[in-house]
Amino acid sequence: MKTAKILVFIMALQGVCMFLQAQTKPLSPTDAMDVRKKISEAAKLTLCLEAQFTQTKELSVIKEKIISKGNFYFKKEKLLRWEYTDPFPYLIIFNNDKVFVKDEDKENHINLQSNKVFREVNNILIGAVQGSLLSDTKNFDCSIFDLRDEYQATMIPVNLRIKETLSEIILYFNKSDYTVDKLIMREVSGDYTRIEFSGKKINQNVPDAKFNIP
Amino acid sequence: MFQMRSLISLNLIFILFLSACDPVKKSTLSLSPETATKSPVWSSPFMNGFEKALFRTSLDVADKHLTGISIIKKTSDSSFHFTFANEIGLTYFDMEFYRDTYRPDYIFDPINKKSFLKILQSDFSILFFSESAGKKPLRKYIQNGSGEAVYLYLGINLYAWMDTKQNSLTELVGWSNYFDAVIVGFREYENGFPNEIRIMNPKIHMTLTFNFLGH
Repeated sequence: MKTAKILVFIMALQGVCMFLQAQTKPLSPTDAMDVRKKISEAAKLTLCLEAQFTQTKELSVIKEKIISKGNFYFKKEKLLRWEYTDPFPYLIIFNNDKVFVKDEDKENHINLQSNKVFREVNNILIGAVQGSLLSDTKNFDCSIFDLRDEYQATMIPVNLRIKETLSEIILYFNKSDYTVDKLIMREVSGDYTRIEFSGKKINQNVPDAKFNIP
Repeated sequence: MFQMRSLISLNLIFILFLSACDPVKKSTLSLSPETATKSPVWSSPFMNGFEKALFRTSLDVADKHLTGISIIKKTSDSSFHFTFANEIGLTYFDMEFYRDTYRPDYIFDPINKKSFLKILQSDFSILFFSESAGKKPLRKYIQNGSGEAVYLYLGINLYAWMDTKQNSLTELVGWSNYFDAVIVGFREYENGFPNEIRIMNPKIHMTLTFNFLGH
């Protein structure tokens, strides 16, 4: 009786292990190519996107979280507006090669050509929304996993400049419309930032004025 | 006898040297007629029951203007953790501060300079660990205009400004030499904690501003 119980326990454990293995195993090159193609096709059809976001920065050393919220706007080809509303208003507009930053009392114009950090952040964010980051083999090693409701793309930087700051970027694509649901940027320090999008509105005409740089 | 005289002379030279480095302009202060025999009681807002706080933060140093959110957490009786990240979430600083030293867990490469971090250590030591307990001021002044009481502690090279009506600490000025004077200002107290904290190092043109967001 005791032996039977142990056997059942071992079989159950094996089942759990197999299930977890299936969950974390990357897709085969053919399947990964297929998912990439679907994401790329969906991105081609996404002319503009509007969503709310919740950004959570997890601090590994002191086990604390910093939570920010706001609105996100994207328009093809390279227009992006991050509008933070909580815990304080802060605005970043990426308009092609220009960046405009506005906090409470200061406005700042940044040229992407001369600012490496903003250039990388811009490339990552635009690439994540457009799905082009998955094909950026020059800068990242990419593995795609099939989760229950999403596809997970794990991007390991190979570019030294990006590697100095980020150890991993994980993108979660919705299986129904192949748009990004969630983005995790893991830093070399061990901290990570999770950005979750909600209330996505695709191709519902975002006015150009949202991306105007004064 | 000769040794005693030498020791007194050396002490005098040392005090004169420190006084020469004193960063506070005496023309803005009036020496109080009241002697400083009665020791005032004050302490940094980060002592006495402080656990953690979230701040909107900006750092201006040389040609760099960094903004974002920071968190300060008391991690033991003798240490505080400071993390400062930009709005998108990328970390600039992740450091543990002790009274006399620090542990850099992560520093954003363009500002990872040992001399700069040493100045930060000295500034944060004043911000976190300053208190009047066990110290006796050498002199008391009155700030012209505001009427605040200003106490000079020469042994530890520190001036402390007190709003005597609110019984709150409004400014600390510390220095060890002419180049590392630091001014720490505490403004707009609410429930015993300042809404704004500003650290200034005039000689290296550094200003670090904290605006309180919540505990």
